[in-house]
Amino acid sequence: MLRRFKIFALIYFAATWAGLCSAQDLRVPGSASAGAETTVSTTGSGKATFYLVGPGASRKSDVTLGEDIHLSAQDMQTAGRYLAILCADTCHSSAFYVSAGKPASLSFIVHPSRVPVALNDAVSGVAFPFDQYRNLVLTPVNVNFQLTAKDTSLFSRAVRTQNGIAWFRTTSGKSAGPVRITASLDDLTAQRALQQVASDPCNLRITGQRTKIGILVQTEPVHDCAGNVLPDGTIVTFTATGQDGKDTVDAPIKQGIARAQMDSAGATTISAASGVVMGNEIRVGAQP
Amino acid sequence: MIPAKMISANTISAKTISAKLIAAKMPSEITRSKFAPRFYLFVAGILFFASAINSFAADASVQVQLEVKKAGPRAVEDLTQRGILRDYRLAWTSMAQAFEFNTFDPLEGPFSGEAKRWLRQTVTSQQQSGLSRRYTNQNHHVDAVFYSPEGDVIELHDTAQYHLQILDGSKSIDDQDVTVRYVVLMTPGADRWTIRQLQAVPQF
Repeated sequence: MLRRFKIFALIYFAATWAGLCSAQDLRVPGSASAGAETTVSTTGSGKATFYLVGPGASRKSDVTLGEDIHLSAQDMQTAGRYLAILCADTCHSSAFYVSAGKPASLSFIVHPSRVPVALNDAVSGVAFPFDQYRNLVLTPVNVNFQLTAKDTSLFSRAVRTQNGIAWFRTTSGKSAGPVRITASLDDLTAQRALQQVASDPCNLRITGQRTKIGILVQTEPVHDCAGNVLPDGTIVTFTATGQDGKDTVDAPIKQGIARAQMDSAGATTISAASGVVMGNEIRVGAQP
Repeated sequence: MIPAKMISANTISAKTISAKLIAAKMPSEITRSKFAPRFYLFVAGILFFASAINSFAADASVQVQLEVKKAGPRAVEDLTQRGILRDYRLAWTSMAQAFEFNTFDPLEGPFSGEAKRWLRQTVTSQQQSGLSRRYTNQNHHVDAVFYSPEGDVIELHDTAQYHLQILDGSKSIDDQDVTVRYVVLMTPGADRWTIRQLQAVPQF
């Protein structure tokens, strides 16, 4: 009986020892940065299969237990959750996270590309810092936004990223012309351009005179309230009201002035409008 | 060595048997030719319904709740919220299909930019290594945390719970219920919202 027990105990201890020798475990990195090499350490002895499953990576390799497993920079380029799985008799797994590296580029979106002057909250921009592998950098960083027109700074603000995003919104400048918008982060710079154009016309005034073929009517140079000349192509609508009825002509501004020829033989009242702005009225007498 | 007589006897008996078999098969051949078109139609119908049920099941297993109260500086309109919810859910359904069956097609449409790049890369590497992933019982609690002033980008924080199974061929090598947090950037396209960035993070 005792002998049987001894044999049983011997077999039991041998099996346990063998199990201990081959029992595998793995230790993953506590934190890792995208594109940086790292290692997964293993315990035990014998051969096993190692799997790395993550964003952009799905690797399978034979490994020797007890040795470190090298994870190359290429395996770890995409930030996210990775799963290291080690299979011998059974499979063990452990997850770890790879975070974005240092900012290497800035994505910068600016709206709009063309804006009237002196319009409240008309210009906005959003910047996203990315590392060299295009992972969004979620660690807060300061992004400097700057609006410049003809070497004059219109707006400057440092904004700390929140959840990987920095943004601004501001009023457009007072002068028509190109504006340079810059987002910068350390030595990284992203630049966009927008065109500031004149706002609605201010004091739209017209003059008219009868000619042989009708009435020639034209505006004085059309400006907005800040003195910017309205861009070519802006439509001015002339309306002539006479004995024959009403006649309307749309004329585009060319070099600040809009002109139109209107057919009317009798006494005529002419008015002008551009957008929501009304101009003065003029009366032209009947054809002699 | 087989004697010649035996070969000949075997040949004769084989011929007799095959003749009998042909005779026996005749009625079934007739039946088959008569009912073959209906049978194939029936099988096609079954396959169609099976695939439809399968895709419905995959889609139905993705539950998404979207909260937009924290979003700013622009408020998220109801219609926009519904569109994002629909497209985000579809994106996860598509991703699950792509990773389970190692195919690129489901990734066309719901993803763009960097997200599409790494998803395609994942499928490629899975094809090479013979691995696949199965996402089931997906439950996403999504908070919109940023919606740009002009409405051209939205950032979502997704606390996703799902069952993830990793397979090497047909053998399951890992099987667990997990909670993973994702930072997501979505942008509007012509007819849908697409995921440009999908990045798992340890915490928000």
